Amino acid sequence: MYVTFIKISDLEKHYASAMALRGVNLEIAAQEWVSIVGASGSGKSTLLNIVGGLDVPSKGCVRMNGTDLCGLSEDALARFRRQNIGYIFQQSHLVPYLSATENVMLAQYFHSLPDEKEAEEALVRVGLGHRLHHRPSQLSGGEQQRVCIARALINSPKLLLADEPTGNLDRENTRVVLELLKKIHEAEHFTIILVTHDPFVADWASRLVKMEDGRVVSDTRNR
Amino acid sequence: MLPRLLKRSFLNQKKAMIIMVVAVAVGTAVAASLLTVATEISSKVAVELRAFGANILVEPRLEGLAGVSGQARYLEESDLKKIKTVFWRHNILGFAPFLDGLVEMRSGENVRPVQAVGTWFEQKLQLPGEESAFVAGIVSVAPWWSIEGAWASHADSVVVGSALATELNLHVGDSVNLEGRAFQVSGLLTTGDREDEQVFMELATLQGLLGGEGRISRVQVSALTTPMDDFAYKNPKTMTRTEYEKWYCTGYVTSIAKQVEEVMTGSRARPVWNVAETEGKVLEKLRLAIYLLSVMALIASAIGVGTTMVTSLLRRVEEVGLMKALGADSMGIITLFLSEAVLIGVFGGTVGLLLSLWISKQVGLLVFGTELNQKALLFPLSMGVSLIIAILGALLPIARALHIKPAVVLKGVE
Repeated sequence: MYVTFIKISDLEKHYASAMALRGVNLEIAAQEWVSIVGASGSGKSTLLNIVGGLDVPSKGCVRMNGTDLCGLSEDALARFRRQNIGYIFQQSHLVPYLSATENVMLAQYFHSLPDEKEAEEALVRVGLGHRLHHRPSQLSGGEQQRVCIARALINSPKLLLADEPTGNLDRENTRVVLELLKKIHEAEHFTIILVTHDPFVADWASRLVKMEDGRVVSDTRNR
Repeated sequence: MLPRLLKRSFLNQKKAMIIMVVAVAVGTAVAASLLTVATEISSKVAVELRAFGANILVEPRLEGLAGVSGQARYLEESDLKKIKTVFWRHNILGFAPFLDGLVEMRSGENVRPVQAVGTWFEQKLQLPGEESAFVAGIVSVAPWWSIEGAWASHADSVVVGSALATELNLHVGDSVNLEGRAFQVSGLLTTGDREDEQVFMELATLQGLLGGEGRISRVQVSALTTPMDDFAYKNPKTMTRTEYEKWYCTGYVTSIAKQVEEVMTGSRARPVWNVAETEGKVLEKLRLAIYLLSVMALIASAIGVGTTMVTSLLRRVEEVGLMKALGADSMGIITLFLSEAVLIGVFGGTVGLLLSLWISKQVGLLVFGTELNQKALLFPLSMGVSLIIAILGALLPIARALHIKPAVVLKGVE
């Protein structure tokens, strides 16, 4: 049964000299894995940031699970993010002076209470049981992204937003990360919106949304 | 998690943290030391200023026709000890009684009337409840009076004013005849005032010569006082009961004078205003200068901390953006930075406390010749000042951290 989890209506985002989004309309079902593809500057990252509450639209609105994100204050958006959303960025954005476990615990700290054992289990789950106390600088790019996956999913979010999560990885590491994501997605049934310009990465999704010049130009089911 | 986060963050930016702790410590040491000096300066400087003379003059109250007729009135010598029983008795640093009278002086062929003054030169009084004797007399109210020779230490000696001695060609050791009785000149007195033309002797001696045992003409009192403020100038007669109690229990020169008046029978005690007001103004200006210096030290230190924190924040912009993306709201960011500031304040305060103990000791020894007594104040003062510096310093970085947009600082490459 199709249940709308995210509804994006007439979304626009204007900057001083450019229009990043020009009236985007999109509905995403719960547990769906959607890839948003497009060239650089097509507006896909801006769309992801607004859906994740990291940015606010100039016009239009985003409703997620019945909550109108556009009506929330900055602090309310922060609270909404920690309760509902996990992030994976292109650059891993790990705190350099914290260990892998502590980076995962940081997400727990802002969500509720840090639990070191649970954080370690999450890292074991992404294959980093032997890297628990390593600093980000002691990890490879692929390992860093796997720490980010553990951190993004530690609070059991309803939505995982990934912005070019494999953009800095080679093909082999890209495959490892995507297989891991797929495995966890199948087990935990959260919704994924993944922004990429790499067709190989986009193909892992069940749905492909293509953007050009701030608009959705195609929306197809993946075979 | 917060303690772990703070520990890691501190260890990660040791250099910046050391700079901030040092900035807080220096600011704390200077401000806390100055504030400690300010709290003690009243008593220390007031004691120094007491060397400028008595600030309360007690005279017989002239009532009715006595004032008009010029009839002499006297105070009772037996009341003198009571001065040290008033509410502010511990602030009475000294007092000296004076009996004035004209006596006939014969020195060689010279015979002339001179103004004689009977007083206590250095009188040790044993007061009830006090272990050591209280020193009253001229040495306690006019320490700057210059004596060549010695004070008149027994009943047959006198001190002659230097101008009178020059006029009569008297020297230390010479003999003079007063009212038919021989006295030896034990010393020559120079004050630069009318005393230079008078003859001083023990109070009892002059009382004997004039036939007025137990009589005194006036008393000079030297008291440590609280600088006069607007309230102190109010007329006690128009005060409410509460106001009067507050006035009476504050060490204003007027309230101490009132208390002295109450214990000296038939007296009128009044402040010597030129002395009292000068003291008040000097103390007030000194204290104001110290407070301003303290605030300046505090601000300079806070700016140092703030600048270092902002520089440190610029290196942590991505980290703050990430925390916001993970769900940190304003309170979460404020808590993190404020906790860092408080820790810097505690470390800086501890170092600053040790420094301020040393500085205030040196200031006390250098300026007043004794250590300052307010050591107990230094701990809360240092901690308070250091926290204020650190928190003030953290305000700008916190404001900047709250404005960091995660979408901007975490932006990937499209």
